[in-house]
Amino acid sequence: MASETSAARGATGSAGGLKGLVALVTRHRVLCALVVLALLPFLTPYEALAVNILIFGLYAMGFNLIFGYAGMLSFGHAALFGLGAYGCGVPIAKFGVPWFLALPMGIAIAGLASVVIGWFAIRSRGIYFAMITLALSQVVYYTTYQWVSLTGGEDGLRGVNVPAIDIFGLHFDMLNPTTKYYVLFVFAAVAIALFSRILNSPFGAVLEALRENEKRAMACGYDIARTRWLAFILSGLFSGFAGALYAIHLSVVPIETLNYFNSAEVLMITLLGGMGTFFGAFIGAYVYIMLQDVVTVVTVHWQLVIGTLFVVLILFFPRGIWGSFLKWVRA
Amino acid sequence: MGSRDILAVSRRSLLKGAALGAVGAIAAPAYLRNAFAQTGPIKIGFPVPISGPYSTEAQDQVRCAELAVAMFNDAGGLNGRKAELLVRDDKLNPGEAATRALELIENDKVNFLCGSLSASVQLSVNQVAKQRGVIYNSISQSDSINEKADFSKYTFHEGLNPHMTAGAVGRYVFPKFGKRVAFLIADYAYGHEMARGFRNAGKAFGIEEVLEIKHPLGQTDFSTFFPRIQAARPNVLIVCNFGRDQLNTVKQATDFGLKQQMKIAFPVLLFSQRLAGGPGPFEGVFGGANYYWGLEEKFPSAKRLNDAYRAKFNNAVPTDYGALGFAGVYALLEGVKKAGTTDTDAMIAALEALKYDAYKGEEYFRTCDHQAVQSVLVLESKPQAQVKSQYDVFSIVDTQPAEDKFLRSCSELGHG
Repeated sequence: MASETSAARGATGSAGGLKGLVALVTRHRVLCALVVLALLPFLTPYEALAVNILIFGLYAMGFNLIFGYAGMLSFGHAALFGLGAYGCGVPIAKFGVPWFLALPMGIAIAGLASVVIGWFAIRSRGIYFAMITLALSQVVYYTTYQWVSLTGGEDGLRGVNVPAIDIFGLHFDMLNPTTKYYVLFVFAAVAIALFSRILNSPFGAVLEALRENEKRAMACGYDIARTRWLAFILSGLFSGFAGALYAIHLSVVPIETLNYFNSAEVLMITLLGGMGTFFGAFIGAYVYIMLQDVVTVVTVHWQLVIGTLFVVLILFFPRGIWGSFLKWVRA
Repeated sequence: MGSRDILAVSRRSLLKGAALGAVGAIAAPAYLRNAFAQTGPIKIGFPVPISGPYSTEAQDQVRCAELAVAMFNDAGGLNGRKAELLVRDDKLNPGEAATRALELIENDKVNFLCGSLSASVQLSVNQVAKQRGVIYNSISQSDSINEKADFSKYTFHEGLNPHMTAGAVGRYVFPKFGKRVAFLIADYAYGHEMARGFRNAGKAFGIEEVLEIKHPLGQTDFSTFFPRIQAARPNVLIVCNFGRDQLNTVKQATDFGLKQQMKIAFPVLLFSQRLAGGPGPFEGVFGGANYYWGLEEKFPSAKRLNDAYRAKFNNAVPTDYGALGFAGVYALLEGVKKAGTTDTDAMIAALEALKYDAYKGEEYFRTCDHQAVQSVLVLESKPQAQVKSQYDVFSIVDTQPAEDKFLRSCSELGHG
């Protein structure tokens, strides 16, 4: 943040044009993110993919709060994403709850889970934090897997039918892909604005202080444990929100949403885009999902291509795409 | 991309062509492309897991499905209107499959969907398709898809279901080899549904279940289970697992000498695994199948499929699961011919009234759940001495005829 504002001040320097532009984008980051996301359906081969990018971007944004800003590598975020999806999907599919109640229910259940998982996990650091979050997310996975009557078990949850959404007398047909994208986009916009507000708050500054130097933050009088816990819960709420939108988007909730692979995927997206940067999550999601989609059509060995690219990026651009770009502009 | 040109070349070239198409598609904005889709060829979307653990089976399904399309086009199509197959990799992941189904329906404007190779994937494609009123013919094993909660009038199921498959094998092995039965079950939906099918079939014969062991999917060491199985002294060991697990089980069971004491039967005995494992490990093992190329002695339709496959793919023969890809697309295209249109409601009526012989004698879709009523083969793997050629691996010891009575009844499934 500090470096971002100093970049804004130095906008009139020698490489003024690009620097100035970046400074402008950084200052109006919510607006810029929304403008680009509003154009997303035109930048993808089909709308369903744009929705996936939007949702995984949100998910990575939530993950970024704990990983990029607070410096804690969680390996259990699939549990929070998945519980958001099941928490929203099960009420709709099994109990006929309307979507506007189910959506907050999904977020609440993910939030509840992050309260519990966070309470256990924040006591540890580094690899131990990663392992505890992984272990607890596996508990969630197997519980959901076994609870067939409620969750559909291995077959996944089907029947999350949200054919239309009515808000304030307006009718939105969710089976129309373009309408669906923009309805979900409005939801996402609220989350993005909220996220930016959190980063701008004193709490956001404390988070980064904690990442940079935990002892110093402690010496300044900040309650480290509670800050970390709160960050984990907030991160869980955003991830759960993304999960809930995923359930509405696909009308199914696969058990794979809870799989640890989904935790690894969001880590890859965040690293690819640039950890600890505001736009990184969405840029990472766009590149990762688009690449998969295109490479899959070319070769059945798509994992090889993506894997190689990922290794190259980590080796030569450890700051990710947006992070490296920022560094290059400001150098 | 003329479909005939594609069919003349290999699948690899098809994928390359599709890739070029995809790159082109990215260049054109979505709203522009939507305008072109209403007329032109009959499009069949075909999501199958061409990468991942079931890729061998899935790639054969693509080859066979292309044969069905070629056959239809060579015969003149629907008054000159040709069919086209749009293959997508579902990565054996229901989320990816649902996304691809959305792509196929919303952007490619496919007329029908066919495909999938896992219970959860087909249920998720089915959910997406039925919401949007698109006919989907599934070619994967599942009991759930027949049941009322997942079924819709747009749902068709060319694949076998565990109830009929396990039932056919059970009714053959239980009276023949004895009533003491042990179960070794892969601990996921496939294993559970198959075991349930065997237990249902066993009731009539008064089988006695002496042991049940569950193993996780992808187990590599089965030998630790064998002493317990031997101690239980079963006449028959029913092994409800699939793919590589199947091969590992029989290899280790043979080495362990299990076969001297009991018969081993699988719900589905895979042609591809038998080819990979060789005659030794599989000798004397029983299992069910939807198809075996040896059916050509009896059915001209089987010969038609085998000959077309041989001509195009270097004298090889289609696998059981591959042939399902053929049958699934074939049934849809027969429906198109009968209906004379691709209009959905007319198609549903045509498919419900259809009697078709795709690859193994006559089949039809039962009206209440759109399950393809079809024969199920019971196979025995041949010993080395009897194997005459590379693909001569099984003998058909029994055939459960294509009759309604081998399915669960409509009321049992919740249909009125």
